[in-house]
Amino acid sequence: MMRLVCGLVLSLAACGVLAAADEAPVPACNLVPGWSQAGPARTYVSDNLFEYMDGNAEGYLIYGFLKMQGVTCKKGDVTFVIDLSDFGDADLAYGMFTSNVDGRQPTQKIGANGQIVPRRAFFVKGRYFLEIAANPEGDYTSVLKEWTAALDKVVPGSTELPPALAWFPAEQRQSLRLVPESVLGLRVLKRGYAAQYDYGKAFVVLEATPQSAASVMEQLRKRFGATTPTAIGDEAFQATDQYLGRLCVFRKGRYVGGYAISQAGTDPVPLSKTLAEKVPTTN
Amino acid sequence: MSSRRHFLVSGLGLPVIASASRSASPEPQTPRTPSSGPVFQYRTLGKTGLKVTAVGFGCMITSDGSVVERAADLGITYFDTARGYQGGNNERMVGAALKKKRNAITLSSKTHSKTKEEALQHIDISLRELGTDHLDIWYLHNKTSPADITDDLIEAQQIAKKAGKIRFAGVSTHKGQAELIPFLAKHPQIDVILSAYNFTLEPAVAAAIEQAAAAGKGVVGMKVMAGGFRTVKPDDPAYAKLHRDGGLLAALKWVLHNPNIGTTIPSMTDNEQLDENLKAMAQPFGPAEEKILAERLERIAPLYCRTCGRCDGMCRQGLPVSDVLRILTYADGYGQFALGRERFRELAPAHAGVRCGSCPGCTVECPYGVRVAQRVARAQELFA
Repeated sequence: MMRLVCGLVLSLAACGVLAAADEAPVPACNLVPGWSQAGPARTYVSDNLFEYMDGNAEGYLIYGFLKMQGVTCKKGDVTFVIDLSDFGDADLAYGMFTSNVDGRQPTQKIGANGQIVPRRAFFVKGRYFLEIAANPEGDYTSVLKEWTAALDKVVPGSTELPPALAWFPAEQRQSLRLVPESVLGLRVLKRGYAAQYDYGKAFVVLEATPQSAASVMEQLRKRFGATTPTAIGDEAFQATDQYLGRLCVFRKGRYVGGYAISQAGTDPVPLSKTLAEKVPTTN
Repeated sequence: MSSRRHFLVSGLGLPVIASASRSASPEPQTPRTPSSGPVFQYRTLGKTGLKVTAVGFGCMITSDGSVVERAADLGITYFDTARGYQGGNNERMVGAALKKKRNAITLSSKTHSKTKEEALQHIDISLRELGTDHLDIWYLHNKTSPADITDDLIEAQQIAKKAGKIRFAGVSTHKGQAELIPFLAKHPQIDVILSAYNFTLEPAVAAAIEQAAAAGKGVVGMKVMAGGFRTVKPDDPAYAKLHRDGGLLAALKWVLHNPNIGTTIPSMTDNEQLDENLKAMAQPFGPAEEKILAERLERIAPLYCRTCGRCDGMCRQGLPVSDVLRILTYADGYGQFALGRERFRELAPAHAGVRCGSCPGCTVECPYGVRVAQRVARAQELFA
């Protein structure tokens, strides 16, 4: 009995350690030599984020923002405003990253993915999204690299990219992002990845069950009116929409995906077939 | 109870009462009914002369550019974005969606910059990303007090205006309106005010907006669905009811009910929201909406602090009551107990040590019906 109690206590203690290890610390200014903290550290949750960034808070909340811990660091006349946000899960944090990333600029392997521009750096790692804003005006690229490297070491979480990113072809791709709700502007497509190409859009949404995915397909058929069945995955159809263009939508298990093509001469069906082949089989 | 209900419904009627006292109120136009499709109501943004649909489009969290494009095709004529939304990606999406309609719509963006130099860089970037040679309105974003409206920023707007990069200068504000809007109303170089405005805000905001409209400023309403609505989470039984009973549409209609509001920019994520919001221009705010919003206010009133600050100084033990209520919301409303406790511990020791139970009776009366003594005692029980 005593051994059981001890085992239980040890297990709980281990869980506590693991939980603590997964919890990101407040960013510290002494991570990079020569910098010191200016003012108190900040903590915000979804309720009061607007106190910090009224006018931009919605952009965080829509990705399931939970908590932000931040600090302002100073060296001479230069300040870095460093904020670490917890989005609760890695997909949503990556979504926040994709909504911020400039697709025309290169990304760097910081955490799972990151980007550094002259006055701003940000990266995603696990459920965390870290941002640095530099002031005053200037090119801080090299210092930002030093800072993001230091912060990458203390922010916990996976450095793996969401598997869905590999399903979308890279050629002619302008952006690839997680849309937190209403993919393609359609409420029935609740949350998923969408890629913008020169010729149109591709998307993949994961439903809870194959049945609910089938229900989504049915609702889409009703919405688009005249549809033509197509042989992809478990079911598929083609349709035309005034704003989305020529559509091919398929279901494969719990996944609903497809292409919306705006450019003449590009056929959504073979593109959708290729996409469906990459999407894993689920039940 | 009946007097409480009367108070709430009276509060909801405030914009109409307020507007009745103004002879120069800009009357909204009678809704236009085209042969088919949505019904549109047009209003003019103060002395700018910009004629826009009463329901505009806030693009900040729009999921896909096709929704913006469709809104413009349907007939919405006012679209709003900001330099800082989605790290600049939002301006790019809006620009691409509206490129065929640029000359038919009113387009606004914002800069959160605090310096002239940076603001002038922002306007150039905004124009480039939006694919246009001018903005109709360019706002200084998220200002809360007259001190935020620096000569530097006003100069940046004037430089941009003279260069033909913007047509009109504006300021956006989410809080502090009771002080800031009257200041902006008198400011000769500000043409448009973009303000948070919804049925949960204190009446002083409506009064300030009336003053601005009377001074010829265009007034644009944002946060029109009320942040209070967002506090109801999807797992709350009230959530489904709120969405089912038309509460959100009622909130938008309540804002349009105020003739001093030139247009509104509800954030629209998808086509369904767009279709829903368009109805607000066709159907007037009436008793059914009054009832919905009064019920909503009734439900949240005992718990919902509007941070109007009128309780300041009322507590005989000197407690900063609105601070304590806000702190309690962290734990009770959002499950962030640790944050609530952290903030409670930041109170002055004399305040943190107060126990409401030791008082003979509470001297604090909330004009909006928050059960102050009960709520503050709960905060002490949880955090002290």
